[in-house]
Amino acid sequence: MGIVLSNIIAIYRRELQSYFVSPLAYAIAGIFWFIAGLFFVMILLGPDGILVGVAAIDAQGQQLGVPVPPIDVPYEFIRAFLDRMGWLLLFILPILSMGLYAEERKRGTLELLATSPITNWAVAVGKLLGVVTFFITMVLPMLVLEAIAISGSNPPMTPSIPLLGHFGLILLAAAILSVGMFISSLTDSTILSAVFTFAVILLLLLIDLIAKIVPGPVGEALSYLSLLKHYNTFIQGIFDTSALILFASYIFFGIFLTAQSIDALRFQRQ
Amino acid sequence: MKIVAKKKLWKYLFWLGPFLITVGLTVGLVSEQWGLIPLVFLIGGIVISGLGLIWQSYQSNWWNRRSTQAGTNALVATLAILAILGLINFLGTRYHLRADLTEAQLFTLAPQSRELVRVLPQPVKVWVFDINQNPQDRELLENYQRQSSKFKYEYIDPQARPGLAEKFGVKDYGEVYLESGDKRQLVQTVNQNERLSEIRLTSRLQQLTNSTTAKVYLLQGHGERQLSPGKDAISQAVQGLGDKNFTTSPLNLGETSKVPQDAAVVILAGPKRGLFEGEVKALQEYLNRGGNLLLMIDPNTDPKLNSLLQEWGVRLDNRLAVDVSGESVVGLGPAAPLVTEYGKHPITKDFGNGNSFYPIARPLEITSVPGVQATPLLRTKPYPSSWAESDLQSEKLEFNADKDLKGPLTLGVALTRKQTPKSASTPQAAPTPSPLPSPTTQSKTSPTASPSPKTPQALPLPSPTIQSKASPTASPSPKTPQALPLPSPTTQSKASPTPPASPPAPAPTPSSQTATESRLVVLGNSDFATDGLFQQQLNGDVFLNSVTWLSQQDEQPLSIRPKEPKNRRITLTTTQGNLLILSSLLLLPLIGFAIAVIIWWKRR
Repeated sequence: MGIVLSNIIAIYRRELQSYFVSPLAYAIAGIFWFIAGLFFVMILLGPDGILVGVAAIDAQGQQLGVPVPPIDVPYEFIRAFLDRMGWLLLFILPILSMGLYAEERKRGTLELLATSPITNWAVAVGKLLGVVTFFITMVLPMLVLEAIAISGSNPPMTPSIPLLGHFGLILLAAAILSVGMFISSLTDSTILSAVFTFAVILLLLLIDLIAKIVPGPVGEALSYLSLLKHYNTFIQGIFDTSALILFASYIFFGIFLTAQSIDALRFQRQ
Repeated sequence: MKIVAKKKLWKYLFWLGPFLITVGLTVGLVSEQWGLIPLVFLIGGIVISGLGLIWQSYQSNWWNRRSTQAGTNALVATLAILAILGLINFLGTRYHLRADLTEAQLFTLAPQSRELVRVLPQPVKVWVFDINQNPQDRELLENYQRQSSKFKYEYIDPQARPGLAEKFGVKDYGEVYLESGDKRQLVQTVNQNERLSEIRLTSRLQQLTNSTTAKVYLLQGHGERQLSPGKDAISQAVQGLGDKNFTTSPLNLGETSKVPQDAAVVILAGPKRGLFEGEVKALQEYLNRGGNLLLMIDPNTDPKLNSLLQEWGVRLDNRLAVDVSGESVVGLGPAAPLVTEYGKHPITKDFGNGNSFYPIARPLEITSVPGVQATPLLRTKPYPSSWAESDLQSEKLEFNADKDLKGPLTLGVALTRKQTPKSASTPQAAPTPSPLPSPTTQSKTSPTASPSPKTPQALPLPSPTIQSKASPTASPSPKTPQALPLPSPTTQSKASPTPPASPPAPAPTPSSQTATESRLVVLGNSDFATDGLFQQQLNGDVFLNSVTWLSQQDEQPLSIRPKEPKNRRITLTTTQGNLLILSSLLLLPLIGFAIAVIIWWKRR
């Protein structure tokens, strides 16, 4: 067990190092920060932003002398922002996950990995941990910006909801990356891998819409598969174990399939 | 050589398989008939493809390869894992932990709702007739569903299932109905601005499951319409009330002298003789404690209700409403005005411009009274078609400008009065009790003003000027300076001949009072609700909707506090705002791109 763990850590370190010296990774981070920042500014401070909107409602209420219905501005802001972030993941994450195995295949290093004494499991787990860590580093600056914004709230807000929301965001990202990793292990073309991952994730996010058409328990089961639905419960401020289990299942299944597909490769090459 | 070529050709023949399948599908889909021809194509295609696959696998010795075995292993393992994960998730949905971290517990049901749903005696189902499934609403319904398996909900597209929609009487998208057994009830209409409310849903649920029904009393003893079937009776209307979960019983105020406590609505349907003064007083007292009254008064009768009606600003006109336009179209006489125009009011909101008619009706005259909100319900057509006729003896109906009143006439009106101290609405109410002991004035001006302990300020100085302004005619002696701009004492004494024992509570602001209100509907006709006419056009709806609105069932009986998010604002200084904009839009992305360029440059 200790060996497996140290193997995982070794892979994890190698992956992380490769991210932090890759210009592509920084470029992706730059794009991510720009788009996320755009959302952030538009939702909070923009002309249609929540601050301007609420100020207008307040002013109107004062003019007419009508009490304004209570609005929890920081809560609404966090929710709206995390909702957009969920969609942004759809575009960013396939790019992060596309190279995980496809790159190794292209370079021919996959055989080394596949035939090395490290189990395929450990490799997959290490790679996933690496890419999730990189994603977390991408999200952290945004969390700091949010904290600055929320610090201006009056009365002050407890940090539980934003933290739960970001926990959900990271879980969602891990689930998507896990699926992307599997798809990446199937092909040696990074572009193909990204496109396929994008398609599959879009399907998994939108499966709720399809489920609405299908009646009965099949529809219910389909809607349960929807990633977005469970993500939404988290960003609303509800901690639900069933959502946790679903995300964990996605992550586990992605790792399992990846290991299987590398296993199959080992036999194919023999 | 030739054999090889043949073999290759033979191989390409298998492309016929997919081709035939496509042809079969196309034929079938286009003609929408899955007859012989598409089936032949389909089966042929499938057989050829299958043969091709088998041949191919034998050709390449596929089955004996190790990768195939490994692949099969992988497939089995994958399926097993899928099954296990599915099971875990299934159990996860069944037994799960939910914690609502929002500060106001926005996504948790109120304890009353939870308790109510948990002990549901019979299955109930919520039908939402809408195409858009709002996640918020779904969340709420799911919250209910988690409490009990007897609670179900379903979204229905009313266009896709018109039969069902008709069964419920769905008129618009977004209507939410509650069904339990054979009882159905509209909960509310959801739309962009109005989301499903837990308060309404729970209170409707309670109404539906509780058998307690609102009680409707029909006043008797002055020649009112009979309740049991007979000539000109209103038995169908009574029946209709029963269908709507009201219990009806007759009431003779001569015997009880007081309206019973449990009365949700009191109906006075077409009295022929006047009420006693004591009876009118009883009704007034009932209204003052938040009662609801429906008056249906025909022309040529005097129910002696003027004092009561005056408080609400309604006057019964003695003329007869005539409508000459309906004569040719509907076959009604000119004395039965056809109403197609309704006021904007909960009673008539669904009527559109449907028809209802009122044989022998009297118009109403409405004056605004402070504290009373009046909404005309029924309006006749404008002048050339309808007017109020005063001369009923002459043979020919014609408009006399000097005696008759031009249309449109108001045949029905709905009024509400906030249940503040009763005096608040009536003119004599305004004056706050004067602390100055001047017996003469008091007795003269306001008999009700009792010595209340709460004096605003003790104004020892009677200022004659203000006073004379306030009530120049009748009050010769000092009163409170801020006392009432409006009413002159003479009218006061006229307006309320009954000096009721009013609670001496001063009314500072209306809003501080509890929001209960008393309601009154006055209709200048009772014929429209009689047997035979009741079921025609919208006549019955006018009656039933009026009673339903009067019964105030739209108020919630359960005191569930609405879930409100915490009121919170973000206040950012300009510097903070600029800092956020700069760092998110410029600084962070630039750092990312800069590092990318530097690394790329170095590597090069």
